[in-house]
Amino acid sequence: MNILKGKIENINSNHQLSIIYINVNNNRLTAIIIDTPKTSKYFKRGKEVQVIFKETEVIIGKGISHQISMQNKIEGTIKSINCGDLLCKITLKTAVGDIVSIITSNAVKQLGLEKNTLVTAMIKTNEIMLSE
Amino acid sequence: MIKLNIQKTLTAASGKMNLHVKTTIEKYSLVTLYGKSGAGKTSCLRIIAGLLTPDSGSIEVDGKLWTHIDNNINLPPQKRNIGFVFQDYALFPNMTVAENLRFALNKNQDKKIIHELIEIFELGDLQFKKPETLSGGQKQRVALARSLVQKPSILMLDEPLSALDYEIRHKLQHYILQVHKEYKLTTILISHDISEILRMSDKVIELNQGKVVKQGTPDTVFNYKEFSGNIQLTGIVIAIQKQDFLYILTLQIGKDIVKVVANENEGENLFIGDTVILASQAFNPVIHKIG
Amino acid sequence: MIDWEPLILTFKLATITTALLLLIAIPLAYKLAYSTSKLKPFIEALVSMPIVLPPTVIGFYLLVVFSPSSTFGNWLNQSVGLRLIFSFEGLVVASIIYSLPFMVHPIQSGFSNISTSLSEASYVLGKSKIRTLFYVLLPNIKTSILTGIVLSFAHTIGEFGVVLMIGGNIPGKTKVASIAIYDEVESLNYATANTYSLILFAITFSILVIVYLINGGYLKPLNK
Repeated sequence: MNILKGKIENINSNHQLSIIYINVNNNRLTAIIIDTPKTSKYFKRGKEVQVIFKETEVIIGKGISHQISMQNKIEGTIKSINCGDLLCKITLKTAVGDIVSIITSNAVKQLGLEKNTLVTAMIKTNEIMLSE
Repeated sequence: MIKLNIQKTLTAASGKMNLHVKTTIEKYSLVTLYGKSGAGKTSCLRIIAGLLTPDSGSIEVDGKLWTHIDNNINLPPQKRNIGFVFQDYALFPNMTVAENLRFALNKNQDKKIIHELIEIFELGDLQFKKPETLSGGQKQRVALARSLVQKPSILMLDEPLSALDYEIRHKLQHYILQVHKEYKLTTILISHDISEILRMSDKVIELNQGKVVKQGTPDTVFNYKEFSGNIQLTGIVIAIQKQDFLYILTLQIGKDIVKVVANENEGENLFIGDTVILASQAFNPVIHKIG
Repeated sequence: MIDWEPLILTFKLATITTALLLLIAIPLAYKLAYSTSKLKPFIEALVSMPIVLPPTVIGFYLLVVFSPSSTFGNWLNQSVGLRLIFSFEGLVVASIIYSLPFMVHPIQSGFSNISTSLSEASYVLGKSKIRTLFYVLLPNIKTSILTGIVLSFAHTIGEFGVVLMIGGNIPGKTKVASIAIYDEVESLNYATANTYSLILFAITFSILVIVYLINGGYLKPLNK
């Protein structure tokens, strides 16, 4: 699990769903959740939360400019790469802390990823969970 | 409120064990005694019920002394006005379901309560049957109903649900919660099942080797965490396999087996038999109708 | 025609003995089943003695104790006017002692086999020990009680040595069937002895068959 600490900046609710904007070290991350400030006590502006997402849900893009629907984009450089037969574990150094991504070994080869490569870690809004 | 401070030397298969429990139980709360088998949970419950006499200590219930060994006070179970559900249900085999309930009546007590309980526990069709013809879940309902006939202030249940299968368990949890609220009971139960405890209890007292090792709300005792993912299950780790920097965990969740991938540092700290929370975003699973 | 008196006397003795034994054995078996006292093994051994001791030994000691020349026998005779030697009352007392284990053992094992949670459940429901005994425990050990009754009854019918020692051979008072058979054989009346023997054999055999049928579950309604 990747766990980042942040603060709820804004909440946009409609019926059952809410999009929550979290400030993590001045980077803005968004999460969509089936809950509203009415149904869950800890969705309040200014509330400190943990932003949680799984390594396997972190997409890696080479460079920093992508036209893509992903809302959560975090720039960083590769700190280490550890490859098995099928999968590689990539640790990134970013402004919000270290982020771990697990992607296929093929992808690493195709993109020519190596240590110190400048990349963007991307996480879909619906892959992010929050916890107190 | 129950103030408990009891001590007793128990002789178990593994040798002598010193049971020492000091705790308080709030009125109208539902409290679970949790711990490995042989930790002293049942003995503790039996001492509160007056079925076992402690070597020393005291039990005070709403300001009244039930037990005070130094002052030679120890009320017999008959005088404690409690409901007790035994692990083997202890239904009287010579009586029908209705007779079991009627036997529990106090002298001059209004029989109305019998009808009320038969209603609540849906025993209408079973009332003329003998206990030996009932299933485990049905026996449990009768035992629960019988324990409430005298309108006790404290209800104690010794592993009420452990012998039952998953669906019946769920239904009975519901019954217990319902009567706990409706009859304004202080309920003390024994359970091994963390998800059950999280769902039902206000307080957990964890015993190990006769001592209270942890007590508090279920969240704090079990290091519980709430995720916003909307899918949150508790399961038991039944297999751990390592592949490269990943761990593949096999979990039993209720009656289902699921496989989950975990990161290295998560997998390293897990052992077979551990209870874990499995959380996921509500957006991920796909649904397929089967029935 | 045979003399029916010894047979009638035998069944009178067996009925009275069994009835009194039941009253004695239930509290005794209850105490033994639930006691943790250190005295328990000694009392249990004492209760079981009649099984292993020759009946003549029991008869002999009863004779010594109950004899009007002994202190106890004399006191009984003086204060209550009860002579236990060569009397029917004496036979009843001797039979109770002699058949005690046959009533106590089945009832005691009945009590021990009942889950303790049944009586505990009754106590928690505010019921006294006596009420629990009559409404919860005894109804659930019916077959054990029946076994005890039948075994004691049959065993009393079959006793000889004790009766001979303490009761003698007084027609209409202490001359029971087993003694009558002995008597007839002594007088070489084999035919009469045979009639008595056959009747006793048939009755005790049927009684035991009924017990095994009940305990084997062949007679379902009685087993409930």
